[in-house]
Amino acid sequence: MEKYLSMPIKELITQFPELGSILEKFEIGCVPCNVGTCLFKDIMEIHNLSPQDEEDLMTQIARVIYPDRQITMPKIKRKKSPTSEQFQYSPPMKKLVEEHTLIKKILGLLPKIIETLDLDSEEGRNRVQGSIDFIRFFADKYHHAKEENILFKYFDENLDIIQSMYKDHEKARSHVRAISEGLKERNKEKVTEHFIAYKELLSEHIKKENEILYVWMDRNLSTNQVGKLFLSFSEADSKCDADVIKTCRNFVNTLEEKFQ
Amino acid sequence: MSKNGMEGCPGSRMMDMREKSDDNPKTGGVKIASQLMQWPIQLHLISPTAPYYEKADVLLTADCVAYALGNFHNDYLKGKSIAIACPKLDEGQDIYSEKIKSWLEDAQINTLTVMIMQVPCCMGLVQLAKQALSESKRKVPFKTVVVGIQGDILSEEWVE
Repeated sequence: MEKYLSMPIKELITQFPELGSILEKFEIGCVPCNVGTCLFKDIMEIHNLSPQDEEDLMTQIARVIYPDRQITMPKIKRKKSPTSEQFQYSPPMKKLVEEHTLIKKILGLLPKIIETLDLDSEEGRNRVQGSIDFIRFFADKYHHAKEENILFKYFDENLDIIQSMYKDHEKARSHVRAISEGLKERNKEKVTEHFIAYKELLSEHIKKENEILYVWMDRNLSTNQVGKLFLSFSEADSKCDADVIKTCRNFVNTLEEKFQ
Repeated sequence: MSKNGMEGCPGSRMMDMREKSDDNPKTGGVKIASQLMQWPIQLHLISPTAPYYEKADVLLTADCVAYALGNFHNDYLKGKSIAIACPKLDEGQDIYSEKIKSWLEDAQINTLTVMIMQVPCCMGLVQLAKQALSESKRKVPFKTVVVGIQGDILSEEWVE
């Protein structure tokens, strides 16, 4: 049994496909996850399953892995007890969640940007360049930089869930590079393909962060760490050009007005 | 006043909880080390720029909290600098707001946690801290903890 507990969840689902639907019943979305390298034994803590839910889940998984045997799955040792209270983010984490709100707005506008894609006109090219600039400055330099340079350092960066976030960030950057190349080449198909891929990747990524990663991180931060994060985030934000951030916000607002 | 004398302000309403006392040999009478790292602690007496407040996580608690909460020292005081006050009975509370602002701006504290009892009169301490924060140029994460008369934590939340 130990070998399965230490297996990356995606590998386990590949070996036992039925596990995917069992996990989904418990609102654990490992199936659509792009990376899926979190270890099975870490899933309980990351998703804050109650002891009862953990027992139910493990019993169902045991029946799939060992259909001919009666196995009692071991209780997984957790660093923190689960809490049933509705979750409330600490101030620094709330800031990241609020930044996600603006990023989600641009993701929501991408279908319209793709639908009206015109690389022959200056207006059309400016719209694509504006989207690239938003992603590079707001989503990446302003938001992801706080995660990578500050927040993730408070945890073991070798943890699979954090590694999967780094991989998502890198994939996102490669899509943006491809969009920029497509714009220069006036290649509509390339721009469209990578805009769609970026939207899918980031939508899933933000959902994972808001619902799982940030919640788990916040539960494991001490009051002292929350204060230090808050200060570090404020200092990082003060180093960013406020006019550029304002331009990014205005770009989204203008597009929203245009397409609604 | 009612016949049974059991009505009136919840903050001063009499309650007899003697049946609740802990006779468990495993938990009753256990010695717990003090986590207090400073003196004085009463908000009127403290200097907000004392060295133990500099860049500290500060705990501002209502007077009664430490008596109601069995694990106060280990669960809440540990690692923090403290001040205590009674928002109902303390006089000259104008200075309180100035001291909290001095914590924020001069001592540059890291966080502020306000702990109160569930009784309505305690809320004044949270309001005092909120007002000081809103008037201060410097913001810090601010948390409130409400303790029940039975020693349970009724709520613990970050305040915007």
